[in-house]
Amino acid sequence: MNFHTNPRLLYLTSFLIFVALSLAIAVFPAIEASRVPPTPGLMPFSSTAQRGREIYVSEGCSYCHTQQVRPIPADQVFGRPSAAGDYAYSTPQLLGTERTGPDLINIGNRQPSSTWQLIHLYNPRAVVKESIMPSFWWYFQLKDQAGPGDVVVPVPDPWKPKGKAVVATPDALALLDYLLALKQPVLGTTATGTGK
Amino acid sequence: MRKGTSERLPEADLYKQSIARVIAETSQREDPVLTRIIFQYLGWATFWLVVGTLAGGLVALKFRFPDFLDAPFLSFGRLRAVHTNTVFWGWTSLAMMGLALYAVPRASKTELYSIRLAKTALWIWNVMVLAGILALASGINNGNQEYREYVWPLFLLFAATLILHLINFYNTVVRRKMKEIYISNWYILSAFLWTLVLGTIAYLPWYQHGLGQTVIQGYYMHNGVGMWFTPLAVGLTYYFLPLFLNRPIYSYALGVLGFWTQLVFYTLIGTHHYIFSPIPWLLQTIAILFSAGMMVPVWAGTGNFLLTMKGMGGLIRRSYSLPFLLVGIVSYGIASAQGTAEAFRTANLYWHLTGYTVGHAHFTMYGFVAFLIWGGIYGLLPRLTGKEPPVKAVGVHFWMSTVGLAIYVVALSIGGTIQGFQWIAQNPFIQSVTAMAPYWLWRAVGGMLMILGHLVFAYNLFHMRPAAKAARALEAGGQA
Repeated sequence: MNFHTNPRLLYLTSFLIFVALSLAIAVFPAIEASRVPPTPGLMPFSSTAQRGREIYVSEGCSYCHTQQVRPIPADQVFGRPSAAGDYAYSTPQLLGTERTGPDLINIGNRQPSSTWQLIHLYNPRAVVKESIMPSFWWYFQLKDQAGPGDVVVPVPDPWKPKGKAVVATPDALALLDYLLALKQPVLGTTATGTGK
Repeated sequence: MRKGTSERLPEADLYKQSIARVIAETSQREDPVLTRIIFQYLGWATFWLVVGTLAGGLVALKFRFPDFLDAPFLSFGRLRAVHTNTVFWGWTSLAMMGLALYAVPRASKTELYSIRLAKTALWIWNVMVLAGILALASGINNGNQEYREYVWPLFLLFAATLILHLINFYNTVVRRKMKEIYISNWYILSAFLWTLVLGTIAYLPWYQHGLGQTVIQGYYMHNGVGMWFTPLAVGLTYYFLPLFLNRPIYSYALGVLGFWTQLVFYTLIGTHHYIFSPIPWLLQTIAILFSAGMMVPVWAGTGNFLLTMKGMGGLIRRSYSLPFLLVGIVSYGIASAQGTAEAFRTANLYWHLTGYTVGHAHFTMYGFVAFLIWGGIYGLLPRLTGKEPPVKAVGVHFWMSTVGLAIYVVALSIGGTIQGFQWIAQNPFIQSVTAMAPYWLWRAVGGMLMILGHLVFAYNLFHMRPAAKAARALEAGGQA
């Protein structure tokens, strides 16, 4: 009986070691981390915001935008350091591994203007000249005449198509809702449920 | 690869003649049915390589020209996943499965257990890759979670393929006509077992939520490389390097040491992709500790391969497969050392979340894994089909891929470092974007060279194709 001549022993051993280590390093810690209660004051996403979150995932936004503030000076600009409970309502997780654009975990507080957010989604370069973010024009409609109840996006020239009104679709508004809902609850205060 | 000067030497002529004789003799002995199926694997892998790297090239261009081809299904966020998944599963995995169809039975001095299983596995896998591309381009994914972006029905196809290969390879090893299980088959078969476990853990949904899913993400994305691509590439090299050099591996014991340390150390270090995140600090520290430990299997492998190649400089220069293996082996050592360095907390302050990591990822998956695959293909296929590729075209492929990769990695390493320093200086964020602009352009230049190299490789592969069925039948009839 040895590894060099007994395939059953060799492969069973390598299989079982991997299973045991995986349970110890990944599965059990994941079960524990999944049970962390929400940070006090953290609000669950509304159904519209949740729909917006699905669009965010579908478009792969988190390949460029992290949602984690590290406890280091470089990250201070984005908010307070992230806590485990901040992610209680965030599945699939969107912490991200690359930060080509700014972190968005607290964007609802940092840029609360709906108008700015919608223009930026329609064409980021209309508000940030040097931006390299894709424009998500397919979440907007171009209309000759905006109807009643239409959310018209005041896109500035020269990005505004001539003679047309840029109207946000329900998907664009859902995405907006999600972005505005990304707010870090303040730590160390009694939760009132109203957020910041 | 300096053909121009060496061709004039009589010694080189002798070498060419002896190579031609080896190729002619071995190709007569090989089973044409196995050869055909291996070629189908490699042909499809190459097709996905071209598709996947064209997607990659477009992604790279969008860093400089964000409005270029901005249709929804070609937008950055969708196309990035198309690129990574197509080169991971379509190209790298399929090519290594194809090479394993030869390496596993030959390292056991026996025949492959079942050609039919290998054929079925190929088509299941191809359906998965194609459906994966269509789904990701349509915005249907399993979260932006690197390399588990395919939705779960596609994971079932993934698992089915691994199981078919496991049955095939295990029965092949059991039927071996030698006492010992050669080390290459330790790595190759284990890679299939480990990845089956890994994928199952990653795709079972009901125990991972919020940050818990991030814990699994670190484990999964890291071990996708560590327990699938790395053991397959290292295992194949343990077979092909001695075969092409016609000398035994330098140290068998180092191979065994590498195997067990790879298994224990690599499994534990996934969290080093989330240093400074809210994942428990202890998990992060364990990951950093064993990332340093990774130097044991990495140098056991790299050192073993380099010592096996020692003194064979003349042969390597004249061969068109060995230079690819050499680049692959050297990249394995250097890029892995780079990975260990990146795991430390201090290094994370500067490099985490920057383009530096993307450079590292290409150094490993391309410099290490893809080059070893090419070395294997250029060395093996002529032995199977009796047909050699145009030597100059192989040289063009080698240099385009090597220079392209070098430009790519250097550009992103410098650019990523600058990006990190911009954040540390707490400059306005957009400055880190504008500072990267020239480096992103150079990265695209490197990427374009790599893509052109792949087209040349596809051309070379076509030259090494097996004879058509009719021609073989005629030949067989003539001999009988």
